[in-house]
Parts: sequence; C-alpha cells; structure tokens
Amino acid sequence: MIILRYVKLPSENFEEFFNSLKQWGEINAPVKQGNIYSFKKVDSLKEVSLDYTRTMLPPKKFFVKPRDELLKLKEGKWEESNGTKPVVLFGVHSCDIHGLQILDKVYLDEPVDIYYKKRRENSIIIGISCMPDEYCFCKSLGTDFAMTGFDLFLHELPDGYLVRVGSVKGHEIVWANEGVFEPISEEDLKYFREFEEKRANSFKRSLNKEGLADMLDLAFESPVWKKYEKICLGCGNCNMVCPTCRCYEVCDLWVNAYEGVRVRRYDSCFMESHGLVAGGHNFRPTRLDRFRHRYYCKSYFDPSAGFNCVGCGRCDEFCPAKIEHVKVLDEVREALK
Amino acid sequence: MLKLGVFELTDCGGCALNILFLYEKLFDIIKFYEIKEFHMASSFKEHDHLDVAIITGTVSCQRDLELLKRVRNNSNYVIALGTCATHGDVQGSVEGSIREKLEKVYGSRANPMKALDSKPIVEYVAVDYALPGCPYDKDEVYQVLMDIAKGVEPPKKDYPVCIECKLNEYECVLIKRGIPCLGPITLGGCNAICVKSKVGCIGCRGPLPKEANPASEFEILKELGYDEEYIRKKFKTFARGELRW
Repeated sequence: MIILRYVKLPSENFEEFFNSLKQWGEINAPVKQGNIYSFKKVDSLKEVSLDYTRTMLPPKKFFVKPRDELLKLKEGKWEESNGTKPVVLFGVHSCDIHGLQILDKVYLDEPVDIYYKKRRENSIIIGISCMPDEYCFCKSLGTDFAMTGFDLFLHELPDGYLVRVGSVKGHEIVWANEGVFEPISEEDLKYFREFEEKRANSFKRSLNKEGLADMLDLAFESPVWKKYEKICLGCGNCNMVCPTCRCYEVCDLWVNAYEGVRVRRYDSCFMESHGLVAGGHNFRPTRLDRFRHRYYCKSYFDPSAGFNCVGCGRCDEFCPAKIEHVKVLDEVREALK
Repeated sequence: MLKLGVFELTDCGGCALNILFLYEKLFDIIKFYEIKEFHMASSFKEHDHLDVAIITGTVSCQRDLELLKRVRNNSNYVIALGTCATHGDVQGSVEGSIREKLEKVYGSRANPMKALDSKPIVEYVAVDYALPGCPYDKDEVYQVLMDIAKGVEPPKKDYPVCIECKLNEYECVLIKRGIPCLGPITLGGCNAICVKSKVGCIGCRGPLPKEANPASEFEILKELGYDEEYIRKKFKTFARGELRW
C-alpha cells in the first residue's frame, strides 16, 4: 500500500525535473514522427510532444519488444542475450498504464516471463493527463484514471503540474528533488477537479459494458460478424498496436554457419497459423472465426479479470478498413434485439 | 555436402544475382553445399542429381519448360525463388495469348523460338518451397538454405507486409498519407522496405496466400479517390489475375 502524496511541480521547474530523471534511466517519451507519435529515447524536453493523442505502438514495446532477441546459439550452446538497462517512460497516458497492468497479469503470473519481469522492474512510469480525441473510449471502461501502476502521475495545471506519487520509487524521486516541488494549494485542487470534469465530458465514444459477456455468448452466430468478415482485411494491424495483445511468435534465425539467435516477435490472431496446432487442425480456419475471436478475447474470456481492452482507440485509428471497435459491438448487440 | 543448383528461366536475372549479393555469407552456404550449376556465378556445370534446386523466372518458352522438368525430376527439394517463379510477375501479367503478342510486335504469328504464355513455375510443377519477392530479401534465401542444410523444414510466412511495417514502427502511408499501399493484402517478408521510404507497397510479393481480401482493399483505395482502372492495374502488376473477387 502506497501512501498517496500530492505535490506541485511549477512550470519553471519542469525542465530541471525532467533532466533530473536521467539519473534514473534512459528517458523515453512521445515524439512526433511524421503523422504518428512514438515513444523514443529523448535527450531534452523540447523533443517531447506532451500533448500527443496516442503513440502508434503502446509502451508495451519496452517490455515485450516488437522483435526481441532472447537467446544466442554459440558453439552449440544457447546463451541469454538480454541485457536490461533502466528506462524512464515519461508521459504515459492512463489507458496505457492500465494496459501494462493487464499485461502484468499475463506475464508476471506463473509461469513468469523472465524477460518481461526484468524490464518491468527496471522501469519508471511517469504518467501524464490527456484530453480524449474522437477515438478514445477509456472512460466507459474505467481506465481513464490510474490509481496504481505508475511511479508519478502529472496532472496539467495552468502554471505547472499536480503530481501524484504512486510508488516507493516515486517517493524516492520526489525526495531526491524536493527543491523543485511545492506543496499544492486549494486552488490547484480545484483546477484539477475542474480539468477532470471537463475531460469526462469530452468523450465522444463509449462502450456499453452492460451484460457484454452474456450478449457475446448469445451472439456467436450473429450476422454482424459475417458482415465485417467481408470488410476486414485480416492484416493484423489492430493486434500490432494493441496495448493488451500479448501473443508472440518465436523464430530461430541463422547468423552464420554455426551461430544463430532465437527471436520472438509480436504475433497476430488474424494470421492463419495462429490457431493451427499439431496434426494440422486449425481452431480458427476462416477470417470470420478470427475476426470474431478478437472481440471475444478483448471483451469476454474472463470477465472476472476485467476486459482486455482499455479503450485507447489504437485499433480504430490504425485500421485501414476503418472498422470501429465500439460500433461493431454495438451492432452485434443491436442485432440480438 | 548437399548438392545445389541454381537455374534461371526467363527473368531479369536479378533473383540469381541477389544470391551472389550475400557476399561473405556465401561462404556459410558453401560450407554445406556443393554448387553443381549456377550460371551467373561460374561456367562450371555438372549434371547430377541435386539435393536442392533453386529456380527463378517464368516459363516463357519451350526451353524453359524442358529445363524445369529436368530439374524437378532430378532434385529432392525445389525452391521457386522470386515472384516470376511463384506468381508470374510482370511478364505473366501481360494480357493476351502469345500468338497475338507475336503478331502485334513482329507482324507475324510465326513462333520460331517456341515462346509460351509466361506462367510461374508453380503452374507446371510442384515445388517444396515458394519464396516470392521482386526481388526477395536476400536474407530470406540465406535462412531457407541454412535451415535445409541443418535438416530443418524452413517455416513458411503467413503474414502481410503490415505486420513487419508495424514491428518497425513505420508511419502507415495508407492511413496517414492516403498513398495507395497494398501492404494489407501482400505477403510479408520484405521488412516493409518500401513503406520505410514512405512509398506504398506495390504488392511485389504477391497476395497473402488464401487470406487476401482484395475486395475490401479495392473499396479502401476507391474511397481515397483512385479510379477503378488504376487499382485493377495495381492489383495485377505482380500477381496476374490472382487478386480476383
């Protein structure tokens, strides 16, 4: 249990605070690249786009890398090839913090993924408040506010940031930089509440969670899946950009005649081989099966553990066929009536 | 030592040349393979039973067909290398019968060279591995040859260009720039090299086997304002009529 502490970071101290984070690890923050944002290593605050909407790849890429070399084959023996260096993820949105907590359940529960664990323990997460755009629906999933899963969380104020401390490491960072922080005032709290209220009213999309599991139970043969099967390209972009997708593929590659590497990369349940098992049976042989499967995986499999969706809107923004997650589920619900 | 042959049918020669571009990695390959024929590398030629045969190009004349049959009959493992061999590529996409083309170009329907309609080798013989690409990524052929040398069946790729594009975090040119990109329906393996340079995928690796959804891609491109004729031509460039719906 972490005792919550609220402090204020005045604008004039922001850069000093940012630079002080370098002693805790390599700072990675959202950077604009063409028309997308990406978490990238940064050296100075001016490279950072703090008003970003969402990065294309979620921060999961620091813990499960898109392509991740796990082992090296040298002289007939496999060796670990992973070194881990401390990273500071600066400017993570609430939905992505929730996304990481969902991944924690998968990768840190038995059997523990040692690569994920090492990197997670070596990271500092600094959250930042945001305003929703046309794709966001985190509020309806309760992932619009993070109570845990971060070390510090920065909430925008007119003259700086209200900082919530969320972990022991977070306290340590504040203690090490007491000089840059101030106590918060009543006025700051008032602004903080107003900001959250304004934000809550800015959402344009919401997912109807009510009875979703039962609804999907009944809707397995829904004609809506068949309609979308024809629109869906099966390209897997939605999986690649999803903060909660956790499937990976492992491949061995040759480096030279006698040495190789074992690499894992993100996999997608839209690929035909995803449901293929020994003996040639495929659990999801058609695109219809695979399209439907994704919605069941995101909203249904284990309702007690919560949804595997945090409402970040990435799958909608990066779908070439412009398929909208909320709209599909709404249509499925509608077709049952 | 495994016996290897590299054979070219009708093509630009780039696929065979790309093997030589492996440079120092070729030495890894010759640790396991004895090269019995590789026209672009050496005039040495020994007709023998082969463990692995690599064939590039389309079958475009009688000589190609005879060579293809001889190689298939004398090889344990045949690799169709490059989009010509696997899908027909540009030559295969040219419409009309060979006699009509001869008449158009030479003014006579006579066919002294015994030219045939250009078709990929997979239409004539069964192959053990098909590796498309115009050209393919040279590391792919390296991995396939090394796997075979080590007794491992080389894995077949089943994902579109989009997957590697995302793994590399390239900006999506289709969604973010409205550039026509065939990435979602084209077999990956190229590491999305065109999108890296902000160029849309032209589909050089052929459609995603069984899985491509050209109808939806067609609608997406149409909505971006490209005309139907343009899109149809784009679909056809490398894959003949395979992107049909």
